[in-house]
Amino acid sequence: MHTLEPELRALHAEGTIDDATASRALALDRGQVFSLHPELRATLYAGVLLVMSGVGIILARNLERIGPLAIVLAIALAAAACAVPAVRAKLAGRPLTVAADYLLLLAVLLVSADLAYAERQFTLLGPLWSWHLLLLAIFHAAIAYAFASPLVLAASLAALAGWFGAGGTLGDMLPFSYSTPALGARALACATVIAAWRYADRRARPDTRFSDVFDHFAANLAFWGTLAWCVDWPWIAAGLPLLAALAWTSVRHGLDTGREAFLVYGIVYAAIGICAAAVPRLHGMTTSFSFVLVIVCAAAAMLWQLRRRLREPGP
Amino acid sequence: MSRWRPSPDEERWLAVVSELGAALPRTAVAERTGGWRSTGLLARIALFVLGFVAAALLFGILGVGSKANLLVAGLVAALAAEWLTVSKRLHASGIEEGLCVAGFLLIGAWITTLIEGEPRFADGSVDTLVLIAALAAAGLRLLNPLVTTCAVLGLVYWVGSTATAHALDQTIGGGVTSVTFGCALAALALVLGAREHRRPSHDRMLDWLVATLPVAAYLQHANWSAFNALHVWASGGTGRLVTVVLLLALGAAMLVAGLRRRRHAPLLGFMGCVVGLAIELRLATTLATETWLIVYGLAALFAGVALDRYLRQPRNGLTSAPLDSREGPLDLLQTAGAAVLAQRTAPESPPSRPTVTPGEGQFGGGGASGNY
Repeated sequence: MHTLEPELRALHAEGTIDDATASRALALDRGQVFSLHPELRATLYAGVLLVMSGVGIILARNLERIGPLAIVLAIALAAAACAVPAVRAKLAGRPLTVAADYLLLLAVLLVSADLAYAERQFTLLGPLWSWHLLLLAIFHAAIAYAFASPLVLAASLAALAGWFGAGGTLGDMLPFSYSTPALGARALACATVIAAWRYADRRARPDTRFSDVFDHFAANLAFWGTLAWCVDWPWIAAGLPLLAALAWTSVRHGLDTGREAFLVYGIVYAAIGICAAAVPRLHGMTTSFSFVLVIVCAAAAMLWQLRRRLREPGP
Repeated sequence: MSRWRPSPDEERWLAVVSELGAALPRTAVAERTGGWRSTGLLARIALFVLGFVAAALLFGILGVGSKANLLVAGLVAALAAEWLTVSKRLHASGIEEGLCVAGFLLIGAWITTLIEGEPRFADGSVDTLVLIAALAAAGLRLLNPLVTTCAVLGLVYWVGSTATAHALDQTIGGGVTSVTFGCALAALALVLGAREHRRPSHDRMLDWLVATLPVAAYLQHANWSAFNALHVWASGGTGRLVTVVLLLALGAAMLVAGLRRRRHAPLLGFMGCVVGLAIELRLATTLATETWLIVYGLAALFAGVALDRYLRQPRNGLTSAPLDSREGPLDLLQTAGAAVLAQRTAPESPPSRPTVTPGEGQFGGGGASGNY
């Protein structure tokens, strides 16, 4: 164990930190206040993950034994039961607790699985099955707004990305494997929709808690899409300038808001994009490695310098 | 004031800066931190990766075919890291850490090329031990808990892979040697963690061991059990019993220590023990996979809901509410986790069936139509 009490007392005594800051920091240091919030979140996430994995296996294995309709109804009932704590909190005018938030996430995921299963069994939408994802995105968004849940909003945006055909799988993150310009265009279109949605949300509700979620989704999708345009000619002519613009915007956003994640996005994605564009056109392993080394060193130096300029985020 | 790394006092002031964030003006403590410069967590991770990649590229440029290039690339990377530390006074900044770890590993790899005849130590590979030692040296040099923890986890796996451990496992049960070794190290770290440490980094090194060793050691046991079940012979009841007893004892000690000391690491270690016990319980029963997944999932959810309700009003200083409203890496992880879960449950495209037209039947031969 270690305690920083002497240092905190010294800072307080010389007036560098005020009474409130000092007492709060000392209480945390001594363990007089201790939050189990991280452990709670990990436990709840594990619970949602396990239940959804179990439900997935049930849907795959026990179809004949139970019957499709019974499965659909049972899962719908389970989803409704999971939403009860969130509904109660909403009716009482309280904000969602962390447990109610995760149970609400489980509820919407169960609805997703249920609808996916129903669609597969009864082919409700026929050849337009992929519109199912858009319906899910809208449904999840409605729930997210009704209960002010960023977690459910993340599920909604994931469904939206899936509808655009730009789901965030590992393959999408590795543009050298099989990403195509068409996939890049879809990812960019999705990022544009999310950015517009974010703008509208911000205008309609200035105190929104959703901006962070929108920002991360839009940034990653836009960068993935642009990287897919940085490999082949003639897409590269648009891809590289777009990459530069996105990197600048991301870094600017990071510096303005004090969030270093956007500095990292801007620098690292830009470095990957430049290497993806240049390395296939270089001859010889030594030349390629040397070029990548220069880019890596430049990216590291730039990230370091920009991080030094980052102002601390406000409380 | 040390040139090579922050003194204990300087490191403590760096910890204060990190703790207080924007509430503390940097200029007020610039002198006390000795001019050491650090960065945020996400930038540190990115810089670590960039540093590591740079060292690997350097080795690639020099030529992967020559053994001597391992030494040259390793020395250049390690010296670059030292230059950044000493001249630029970087500490826990990522870039010097990535370079140093890669440099030490390259030098370690070069040393393994000097050892001929594949010598054994305690019937285990000396080459692996050299790499683990290189990693541990880098971690201690950098005061980096992640790197030292990786070295200790590597040691646990190395101990489990030795012929001596295999011989012991044949007697007392599969994988029990590594579980016992890992649990013993975790218990030792837990005991040492109770002492007062001047350097926060030493405390963090012990915390990381406490949090990760139970799961890591158990995973090796689980791998062994799976291997045995498939290929060799069923894991004996003795091994399972020993594992359960060890995890129970360690888990109980960690829960008590975590609540008494008000530290996250023992509580995370306790959660790791619970995971191991849950898997052992599952292996001892004949429950279907989907049943135990749902039962355990519901148990975790009920436990979470109960804890949340119980601690909504702080009890004896314990609370379930977050103490910091700032967006942190955990929030980013949570958003990503929710998106991943949503993607796993999203509908997949229906299986494509070839269109069948009359006269092109699949099984009926000439003239058949439609599906069989």
